[in-house]
Amino acid sequence: MSPAVPLDRRTALLIAIGVLLAAALGTALGTGFRLATRLREDIAAVQTASTLQAYPRELLREVSGLRERLEVRAYVGRSLATLRGSTHDFGVRLRALAAIDHDPAQLASVQRRWRGYRDELAPVLGFRGEPYVDSDAAATRLSGDGHRLYARIERARLYALANARGFDADLATVTRGLQSSASAAATRLRLLLLGGVLAALVLAAIAAWLLLSRARHARAAQEARERTRDILRTVREGFFLLDADHRIGPVWSDALGRMFGREDFAGLDFRNLLAGLVPEPTIATALKYVDLLWGERANENLMKTINPLSQVEVKSTDPLNPEPRYLQFDFHRVTGAHGVKYVLCSVVDVTSNVALARELQESQVGANAQLDMLIGMTRTDPLQLASFLDTADAGLKLVNAILREPARSDADFRRKLGGLMRELHTLKGEAGALELRGVADRLHALESRVSACESRPALSGDDFLPIVAKLDELVEYLRGIREIGARLARTDAEPAASPADAIAPILEAAAARLAQDHHKALRVECSGFDAIPRPLAKPLKDCLVHLVRNAAVHGIEDPDLRRTRSKSDVGLVRTRFARTADGYELTVEDDGAGIAPDAVKAAAVRAGLITEAEAAAMDTRAAIALIFRAGFSTMSEVSLGAGRGVGMDVVARTIHALGGRIGVATSPGKYTRFKIHLPAAADAAAAVA
Amino acid sequence: MNAAIDPTLKLLIVDDSNIVRRRVERSQRFDRLRLVGSAANGVEALALFSRTDPDVVTMDLTMPQMDGIECIRRMVAVKPSVRILVISALADKATAIEAMACGANGFLNKPFTERQLNEALAELLR
Repeated sequence: MSPAVPLDRRTALLIAIGVLLAAALGTALGTGFRLATRLREDIAAVQTASTLQAYPRELLREVSGLRERLEVRAYVGRSLATLRGSTHDFGVRLRALAAIDHDPAQLASVQRRWRGYRDELAPVLGFRGEPYVDSDAAATRLSGDGHRLYARIERARLYALANARGFDADLATVTRGLQSSASAAATRLRLLLLGGVLAALVLAAIAAWLLLSRARHARAAQEARERTRDILRTVREGFFLLDADHRIGPVWSDALGRMFGREDFAGLDFRNLLAGLVPEPTIATALKYVDLLWGERANENLMKTINPLSQVEVKSTDPLNPEPRYLQFDFHRVTGAHGVKYVLCSVVDVTSNVALARELQESQVGANAQLDMLIGMTRTDPLQLASFLDTADAGLKLVNAILREPARSDADFRRKLGGLMRELHTLKGEAGALELRGVADRLHALESRVSACESRPALSGDDFLPIVAKLDELVEYLRGIREIGARLARTDAEPAASPADAIAPILEAAAARLAQDHHKALRVECSGFDAIPRPLAKPLKDCLVHLVRNAAVHGIEDPDLRRTRSKSDVGLVRTRFARTADGYELTVEDDGAGIAPDAVKAAAVRAGLITEAEAAAMDTRAAIALIFRAGFSTMSEVSLGAGRGVGMDVVARTIHALGGRIGVATSPGKYTRFKIHLPAAADAAAAVA
Repeated sequence: MNAAIDPTLKLLIVDDSNIVRRRVERSQRFDRLRLVGSAANGVEALALFSRTDPDVVTMDLTMPQMDGIECIRRMVAVKPSVRILVISALADKATAIEAMACGANGFLNKPFTERQLNEALAELLR
């Protein structure tokens, strides 16, 4: 089977065979007809020849008869007539034979003998006289004519007698010749018929083979079509062909129907396929791009990057899945012997790839944030970091404990929230101070959740669930940091210094960051920290972070305002630790705006801590003391630095827990000074806390 | 050696960034290319084009004085057999397609890697 032979060539071959067949049959029939005619003639000639063979003897007999009649003086008129008839017949038949016979040499001898015969007979046959003379004297005797006739007859008889054998032999030869000619013609006819039949059979066989192979070819083509159809039905890509007029061809893959929610692709304009799915300018650009493929110059591989449909967002046509999908169109030239035949377009749904790419990008952002965190950590003193992580650990344990506390009433829940706020706020302050931005951001987010809970009219246990989830995330994050920190510490181990040494850098870093965040200029001065007993280092550090932050955010004015108040642009926060006769004293003083009692009162009223009436009755001292109450904030705008009204109450609680007391002195527009007194036994209290 | 047989193709680089010019010059595909000139703007490029009759041109689209598209149009009008690779930042695909429609043979997006440049030149010279 040779499916490589194209169908039109096969048809031409079939036609040629048909013509050949017809020619062969025509020739065979024509030749056969001629042969048959010859055969018939030959047979007729044989018959004539065999008839002729009888004549010489007959003529001899008749001539002899004539002679006898003359001898007995019988009537010869009838015999002469018979002889005339026979002679005439012989002449006619011989001429007929001469007309048929194909071998004149054989017949020539017969004709020669016959001419002699005829010449001898001519006077006999032409006899018109009276052969007898009747006389009474004698019996009837021959007349003169009779004698002449007798003599003629006798000559003719002698001639016939002499030539009878020759005649016979010659005619026999002619007959044999004619018989063999007829036999040869018959053989040729038989052979011709056989050949014709064979040729017809061979041609018919070739025709049948060709027809069969054509049928096989057609079957193979059908099978190939079916397979193509199967591929088009199964393949996940949308495939179709575009002609030079941007019309879709009659064949496409079924996936195309699923992608576009339609089936009327045959002859559809590519523009109409995209219309409504893709913005109009993109369609125009896309058609121009496809036109480039029809041209000679553009290199298909070097224009892939500018394919305007390499990733198009397509509005969903599926009401169950309204999310937009992303389709990727690819165009390829399909070339034939005369250049580009059509452009093959493949369409792939790349929605999941796009989603994956996005996830990848997001995780990249996350990884970058972690890297930032890592860099932040490398800049942080490992001891401070370890200290912070310990604090955070303890703080989050406390938060966890608060969350686990049994609570039934709304008031219980709110108390829980207040506790959470304080702990988170403290941690956030420290994280900020250490420039652990990632931790601070997460704590801020957690605080926002808690804050959102607080603003709800009625609280239930379910409201805490998102907080718990966020908390877990944060704990996980901190664990990661601890691990990295541990590794860093291993590679960069330094002898442990006094924890108190770490406080001043923390405060300075916190001040610098707050100054930057709030567009202020400020400086922190620390003195006497080396005298802080080890057990007090952590609680005092917590307090100092809060106090410095409060000074930076609430106390120090922005540079413009400070200038109008004739102060230096750079605000100053002074911190000093000192031993006293009965214990320790920690002072934090800023040269900022001071505390305005009326503003504090108004904020407390807004926060619902006191009523208007209580506020009116309050003196300055009591008003300022409000800042130590839980839930107090004077900042109207919540920021990462301070302003949620937690901070000062944490300081107050910490100091009270250590058996100390905190005092505040302020002068509006000039300064604020916090003074903390701790008893000598405070370090012991802190050690057991 | 017969001077008429020159297996290398003449290259003209048109780009206002000499970093790009140097990178193209350093490409491995230079076994088949011979630099005959580099231009930093379209006017200069056309002048060099008529003087050096290059076979291959790498072309930036955004240049001072005459933009790349106009430059491509004129070069192809003068020498239809010239092969032009546009090397440009793909700000919008419509402009790139316009450049191709004017007769450029291919497009290479900036920024590109060494490998991308080599592949693009190989494809252009095929």
